[in-house]
Amino acid sequence: MTDSTDKISDKIDYNLAFLLFLMFCVSCISIFSAQTNGQYEDNFLLKQIMWYFVGTVVLVATMIFDLEQLRKLSWYFYGFGNFLLVLLIFTPERFAPTINGAKSWFVVPGAGSLQPSEIVKVCLILVLSNVIVSHNSKIFDKTIKSDLLLILKMLGFTMVPIMLVMMQPDLGTSLVMLAIFAFMLLMSGVAWRLLVLLYSSVALIGFGLILMIIKIPEFVEGTLGVKEYQLGRIYSWLDPENYEGPEAYQLNKALLAIGSGKIYGKGYQDGSVYLPENHTDFIIGNIGEEFGFLGISIVLTLFFLLIYRIIRIALEIDDPFGSFICAGVIAMITFHVFQNVGMAIGLVPITGIPLPFISYGGSSLLGSMFAMGLVFNVKFRTRKYMFSAND
Amino acid sequence: MANKKKKKNQVPVRLNILFLFVFILFSLLILRLGTIQIVQGEKYEQKTEQTENVVAKSSAPRGKMYDRQGRVVVDNKPTYTLTYIRSQNTDPSERLETAKVLADYIEKETDKLTERDLKDYWILTREEEAKAKLSEEEWEKLEDKKAYRLQLDRITEQDLNQITEPELEVAAIKREMDTGYALTSQVIKEGLTAKEMAVISEHLASLPGVDIKMSAEREYPFGDTLNPIFGNLGPIQRASKDFYVSRGYDLNDLVGKSFLEQQYEELLRGQKTKTKFITDKSGEPIGNPETIQGKRGNDLVLTVDMELQQGVEKIIEKNIREEAYRYQVHSAYAIMMNPKTGEVLAMAGKEKDGKGGFIDKPYGTVYNAYEMGSAVKGASVLTGYNLGVISPGSVLVDTPLYIGETRKKSYTSNGMGPINDLTALERSSNVYMFRIAMRAAGFDYVPHKKGGTWNPDAYGEVRRNFAQFGLGVKTGIDVPNESVGYNGGIQQIGNLMDMMIGQFDTYTPLQMVQYISTIANGGKRMEPHLVKSVREPTNGDGLSNSIVYQNEPRVLNHVEMKQSWIERVQQGLYQVVHGSRGTARRYFEGADYVAAGKTGTAQSNDNYNLTLVGYAPYDDPEVAFAVAVPDVNGEAAINKHIGREILDLYFELKKSGSKMNLNDEKMDEEKAS
Repeated sequence: MTDSTDKISDKIDYNLAFLLFLMFCVSCISIFSAQTNGQYEDNFLLKQIMWYFVGTVVLVATMIFDLEQLRKLSWYFYGFGNFLLVLLIFTPERFAPTINGAKSWFVVPGAGSLQPSEIVKVCLILVLSNVIVSHNSKIFDKTIKSDLLLILKMLGFTMVPIMLVMMQPDLGTSLVMLAIFAFMLLMSGVAWRLLVLLYSSVALIGFGLILMIIKIPEFVEGTLGVKEYQLGRIYSWLDPENYEGPEAYQLNKALLAIGSGKIYGKGYQDGSVYLPENHTDFIIGNIGEEFGFLGISIVLTLFFLLIYRIIRIALEIDDPFGSFICAGVIAMITFHVFQNVGMAIGLVPITGIPLPFISYGGSSLLGSMFAMGLVFNVKFRTRKYMFSAND
Repeated sequence: MANKKKKKNQVPVRLNILFLFVFILFSLLILRLGTIQIVQGEKYEQKTEQTENVVAKSSAPRGKMYDRQGRVVVDNKPTYTLTYIRSQNTDPSERLETAKVLADYIEKETDKLTERDLKDYWILTREEEAKAKLSEEEWEKLEDKKAYRLQLDRITEQDLNQITEPELEVAAIKREMDTGYALTSQVIKEGLTAKEMAVISEHLASLPGVDIKMSAEREYPFGDTLNPIFGNLGPIQRASKDFYVSRGYDLNDLVGKSFLEQQYEELLRGQKTKTKFITDKSGEPIGNPETIQGKRGNDLVLTVDMELQQGVEKIIEKNIREEAYRYQVHSAYAIMMNPKTGEVLAMAGKEKDGKGGFIDKPYGTVYNAYEMGSAVKGASVLTGYNLGVISPGSVLVDTPLYIGETRKKSYTSNGMGPINDLTALERSSNVYMFRIAMRAAGFDYVPHKKGGTWNPDAYGEVRRNFAQFGLGVKTGIDVPNESVGYNGGIQQIGNLMDMMIGQFDTYTPLQMVQYISTIANGGKRMEPHLVKSVREPTNGDGLSNSIVYQNEPRVLNHVEMKQSWIERVQQGLYQVVHGSRGTARRYFEGADYVAAGKTGTAQSNDNYNLTLVGYAPYDDPEVAFAVAVPDVNGEAAINKHIGREILDLYFELKKSGSKMNLNDEKMDEEKAS
């Protein structure tokens, strides 16, 4: 039971740090290219570098607390995050303006803006991890009843921020939170039968809804009271070339940009398709056009390696709380990447969420760095046991 | 312990499953990317070449607006613009030649020229001297760009003074030709004179890239009358850029920014003539461009009668002037509507500008809300019936009430004694309405007693009843962002009583006219509108017969009250104008039509809001109106004077042959003949 090492420098995951550095490079390169298209006047690159700096400070600050402290603090993080979301609702338009139809940002004129929901996601991961660990430590005989209780508890804690975020309204972030819930539920130890039942029924309902929208739209509009414009996302996803509307316009432009990039891309700064939001939510369009299939594949590989590293860390630590945190962070990153890239290539309907680490955006980056701080922390607290190697 | 073991073991297994799941999701992305970028890449590449940067557009005029009689109220004044489309590889010297020719034909302002423009021009026209600015050695050593920069730096004031006055014009024209991207249309001069047009048209064939385009500015044949309601045009704002671009606009287009221009933007906008160039790799156009002919936007036919509108505006101005000194009247609003169809016939608002003139504020009828006073009592009585606290013929005693310390009474100092609902309307009893409110709230009234229980739900019930007439809710008019007035929330019993006499919640004149129309119309609440129909554009003058869109009369709701009750209140409103003690009686004496209505005087601070609503003819209403004169220093009769005069005007115009209720078929006949 002796620690093999105690040196701080040995407990930092350099692989992970290097991956983050590569992400930083990709982000700078593509934001610089996007802003030279002249759609916007701000110098986003400089701001993004600054945010990366602030993000690194956040990351290091997160590592101050050990896991036990984090567990206790998780309630405060969660409470504070939800408090911000509530505050947002009551903040006057001057400090929380409606941007692109959603009231999601605090804006202090001259100082900058903050999107609290980006931070709340990470707080949710912390609290769910805590809930699962506490539950499992109290229950010794797992039964269907105790499993159901755990599911309900987790669902309850997830639904609070989701409802607050839906009031903004911000569908994308709500879906991320649902994904975090779904992934962590998988990890929580709930019996397989229940999980299979739950996931397959959700999948069935989703599939059924989409089928209904395609086959009997009158019923969905008339009886279920869904307005036509709300179905716009679905229609423009299924048939972007024939459905007119802002979402279809964006999807068409994104497809055009990415598709015309072909295998090797048109070359750095040689993109020619006008793509709105190509420094934030649609940055992948910019990468795809200028660096082609190869470029996107490299970016996706970076993400995949990042997730792989986190899985490794989750497997190494002996503290389930740490593993659950890792699972939550994986859920967050995976869903962000899948949704963000997927919407630009018509794989999933459009919802505005950024590509973590790459898209321009202070709040998103802070949230991601906070999450990575937790992962680094988990790694930091992992003790290597001499005799556990062949466990 | 065994349990703990089990717990520990399930984590790695599930982590692996999670990882498998992540792997599947990423594979899906790569698979789809492969399809798009590798399999279909060629298709998308061709598409970008076809669709990006090769369409030149020229704007088409917006649709016009007509009043209900077919008179043009918003017109287009054609302006002719000299444009230039630069192909991607033209030589600067070629452009210089064209500019020289054009300078002979047109006058061009030279004040936009910068020093840099002049230097560029100097280098281009004085080749030898420009070359001499740099030594042989420098020419060899420096890159083109740097050499040019050095040339620019070394040009002196004196050099520039060589440029003559006529040359300045050439430089100014060339400057316009050089700006902007290739294959986009650049404006060289706006507002060409007839002479310039003639001479350029003659030589158009020998001027490559030069063209004359017709565009239009808005013109208002009726001057300021109703002008604010037509709305403004403006450039597309940065924030709404994506919205417009996705609907096929160009960033330099003008779009409707307010009122009707904004509300009907989609219908009014013209379709641009598009010229498609097919270009080779270097961007040079190949072959003849394909042209898609655009067309002017659709025309709007408004419900407003401009003759009536002008008259109403004059009446308001006259009345404000008459009472401005004695009662410090500073503004007044009036709106007239067909109660059966919701067609707004006139909407006018005037405010003194302090310099002897008036500011035109017709939109005040939609945006300004006031305490409207007793004019709402028709709704109060109907609310009383509907809540079952009174019934037609109920007699209540009008005597001063004491709610705690507060004395609340009607205008007569000691009350009117026992009166029924009709008299209550005729003489505008406040106490009658107070008693309805107290009954509705279950308030056990004891004079001078403080406190006492009552049910605050009565606020909601009263507002729900008022809303059936359009009071406190949106009327549905076709201008953006109408006001719904101020909702005072739930306060004391005394405030509820005040609400029944129009002194608590506030309403707009538009809501008032909708309310009185609903009563006039036997309980059908009509949606007010300003646009009657939308017509296809014509090539020449006049209206087209083909209708794109017709604003049919739309019933928003039927009041959930007995027909006999509404008729009872109509009778009460008749008494207001014709009864022996009717509050409007002496102002409508001698009218050759039968009107019904309700006066109102709301005390706000130390001043009064004077109001009047009404309709005529009583037995078959064809016009309803609302008048509001806010903030009057004393109980003037200006509201009643305005009401009488605008009704007189309406019937006078009708008699003199102005076909106020002209329907579309008739108008078409007229146009056809």
